[in-house]
Amino acid sequence: MTTKVTEFTSSHSPDSGSNLIPRRALLTGSLGLAGGALAAAGLAPLTTRAGGFMPPEVPQWTKSLGPGVLTQPYGQPSKFESHVQRRTVEWLTADRIASISFTPLADLKGIITPSGVMFERYHAGIPQINPDHHRLMIHGLVKRPLILTMDDLARLPSVSMIRFVECPANGGMEWRGAQMDRVQFTHGMLACCEWTGVLLSTLLEEVGVDPSASWILAEGADGAHMSRSIPMEKALDDAIVVYGQNGEALRPEQGYPLRLINPGWEGNTSIKWLRRLEVGDQPWFHREETSKYTDLMPDGRAREFSFVQECNSVITSPSPEKPLKQKGKTHIEGFAWSGRGKIKHVDVSKDGGKTWQEAHFTSMVLPKALTRFALELDWQGEPLLLQSRAVDETGYVQPTYHQLRDVRGTNSIYHKNAIHTWKIHQDGRVENVQFV
Amino acid sequence: MSSLSRLFGVVCLWIISGSLLADDHRTGYFGIGEVATPDQISGWDIDIRPDGEGLPEGEGSVADGEWLYEAQCAECHGSFGEGVGRYPVLAGGQGTLSDGRPTRTVGSYWAHLSTLWDYIHRAMPFTAPESLSDDEVYAITAYVLYLNDIVDDEFVLSKASFLSVEMPNAAGFYRDDRPDVSNIRCMEDCLVGELVVHSSVMGFSSEQVASLEPESETSAEDERMAKAKSTYESLCGICHASGIGGAPIVGDAEVWQPRLEKGLDALIDNAIVGYIGDAGVMPAKGGFAHLSDEDVSSAVEYMVDRSR
Repeated sequence: MTTKVTEFTSSHSPDSGSNLIPRRALLTGSLGLAGGALAAAGLAPLTTRAGGFMPPEVPQWTKSLGPGVLTQPYGQPSKFESHVQRRTVEWLTADRIASISFTPLADLKGIITPSGVMFERYHAGIPQINPDHHRLMIHGLVKRPLILTMDDLARLPSVSMIRFVECPANGGMEWRGAQMDRVQFTHGMLACCEWTGVLLSTLLEEVGVDPSASWILAEGADGAHMSRSIPMEKALDDAIVVYGQNGEALRPEQGYPLRLINPGWEGNTSIKWLRRLEVGDQPWFHREETSKYTDLMPDGRAREFSFVQECNSVITSPSPEKPLKQKGKTHIEGFAWSGRGKIKHVDVSKDGGKTWQEAHFTSMVLPKALTRFALELDWQGEPLLLQSRAVDETGYVQPTYHQLRDVRGTNSIYHKNAIHTWKIHQDGRVENVQFV
Repeated sequence: MSSLSRLFGVVCLWIISGSLLADDHRTGYFGIGEVATPDQISGWDIDIRPDGEGLPEGEGSVADGEWLYEAQCAECHGSFGEGVGRYPVLAGGQGTLSDGRPTRTVGSYWAHLSTLWDYIHRAMPFTAPESLSDDEVYAITAYVLYLNDIVDDEFVLSKASFLSVEMPNAAGFYRDDRPDVSNIRCMEDCLVGELVVHSSVMGFSSEQVASLEPESETSAEDERMAKAKSTYESLCGICHASGIGGAPIVGDAEVWQPRLEKGLDALIDNAIVGYIGDAGVMPAKGGFAHLSDEDVSSAVEYMVDRSR
C-alpha cells in the first residue's frame, strides 16, 4: 500500500498539486465534470486513483504506526513537497559561484519565506565560517574602534522585524518583453523573513561616531569582499546587524553568522557575512554601486545610489506554476510590498487593466514586508488577463510598463516594478504576457 | 571629583550634545568588544576612495600589466577585454550608452579609477581574491586602462599618478531622483496599451524544470552521482568546463587520455591534495576546502566518465 502512494505521487507532474478528488465534485455527484477537469490537468482517471485511500476505504497510514521522535533531529518538509525548491536560470550568469537562484513564490504560504528556499545571490560562493572565528570590525571616524565577537553582539539589546529582501534585478529580464515562464523567475529574487539582531544605531552609539561622518562602508568576509556605501541616515534609521532568521541562526546562504539588513532597500546593500563597518564622510563608489546597481537611462546617463525598492505586486495563483484546474469559485492570490512602508491597497483586474476591483488582505500588513492579498474569482473557462496593482502608504501607485519605459527606456536592468500580466487560457493554462 | 573638573565635564557634554552621534554619554555604554589597534585595522581596511584615500605606495606599468593580465585575467575577460562567455567585458563600448544595446565597460561606463583598483585588489582573480601584490594591482589596472585607450603604452600607474587619470564617463551619473513615474488609481474605463504575447523562449520551460525534479525512487549510487554532478557544475566546472588555468576540459577525451593512464586513484589523489603539472595547476580540492574527500572523489569519477 505504501509503495502505491509513492507510485501515485511520482506519476504527478511537479506542479499538479493536490492529490485529493475535488470535494465539491464528490458531494454533488458531478463526477463527469471532475473526471474531465482531472483529465485536462493530466491526472490519472478516477477509478485508478481511489486505490483504497478514499472514503469509505481507510488508508494504510491510519492503520499502522509511523516513525518516532528524533527520526529527524532537525525536521525537513514532507517528501511530497520536494517540488518546492529554489531554481536558477543557467544563462543568466557565467557560473554558479557568482550567480543567483529564485524563491518558489507560488508555493509559499503566508508572508514568511522559509530560510531554506530564500533566493540566493553570491559573488564568490558561500564562505563556511565558524562563528567563533568571525569578527566584526567597526572603525573609521569613530572614537573607539572596536572588534566584536558573536558573543559580544549577543550581549547587546536585540530587535526582531519582519521585512522583505529583494534583489533590485528582480524581474530585470522582462524590460524588453515577457520572457520568463514562471512566477519563480519573473519575481522570485524576493523573500520576507523575521530578522533578529542589533540595530546598527546601537553599534554606532557604542563606538561613538564623529559628527563629520555621513556614510558607512559595509563589507563582507566572502572572497568577493562585497562592499557597499550606506548613508548615515539609513544606518541610524532601521538598519539591523542580523544573526537570526525565522527563529534560528542565519543560514550559510544568507550570511551566517552575521549580515546587514537594510529594510526596504535593494538587497545588494544588505551585506552578507558582514566583517567590517567603516565610518566615513563620503561614499566609496565601489564596484557594486557604480558599474553594477546603477540604472542606465535612455540619454546614456545613469542613476546611482538608487536604494529604495518601490511599491510592487504580483499574482502568485493563478500563475504558470498554479494553473486553473477546474471551473467554479476560487481565489486570486498574490503578494504586494513596498520599500517605503506599508501597503495601502491592492487592486486586481481581470480584463488587462480596463476595470479594477479592490482585493482584501489575508495577512498582517507590516511596513516593508510582503503583504498577502486575495480576490474571489468565479471562473467559467473564459480567457482572462489578470493584473494586480499595489498602492503604498505614501500614495505611490504601482506603474505600468508603458510608464516605466517612457522614463527609463529598456536598459536600466534594475528596479522594474511594473504591473504584471498573466494570460489565463480557456484550458486554465497561464502565460506571461505584456502590454506595451 | 573637584568642582573644576565637574564644570569641565559639563562644558564638554554641552559642546558635544549638539550632535546625537557624538553623545559621549552612550559611547562605550555596554563596554563590549576589544579596541581595534591600527595594526589590526590595517589588515582588513582595504578600501580605496575616488580621492585616492586608502591607496598603498607602489606602481605598475602597462608593459608589466600585459603579461600579468594574460596570465591572471584573460581566461575569463579575453585578451582584449572582450569577455569570454558570460564573464564581463572590460574594454570598448565607448559611445554606446544611449544605444539600444549598450556595452558597459571600464572605458565606457566606470566613473572612478579607484573602483577598478579597489575591485581588482578586493575580488580578483576570481578564484584567488587578495592574492595579487599592490604593484601587480597597479600594473593590471594600468593595462585595463590601456585596453580602453585611456592611457598610452608607456604609462606607469602609481599612487602619485593616480589622480591624473581621467575616466571618460566621469560625469555620467546622477543621484537617485525617484519616484520618476506617476500612475493613478483608475478603477473603471482605464486606458490600456496593446497586448503583446511573447512565447517565453528565453526562460526554462515547465518541461525543462520538471526534468530537474528529483526522482522519488533513487539508488544510493544515483544520489552519489547526482551530488557529483552538482559539485562539478557549481565548482569544478568553473575551470574544467572552460579550460581556465590549463584545466583539462570535460568531454575532451584526447586531453584526458594521458591523465587516465595514471589510473583513477592517482587522479583522485591529485585532486584532493593538489598537483602541479606541465599544463597547469590543480589546487587542493580545486581551492574549495569545504569539500570532503568523498565529494572530490565522486566529482572526479563524474568528470572522467564524461571524458573517456
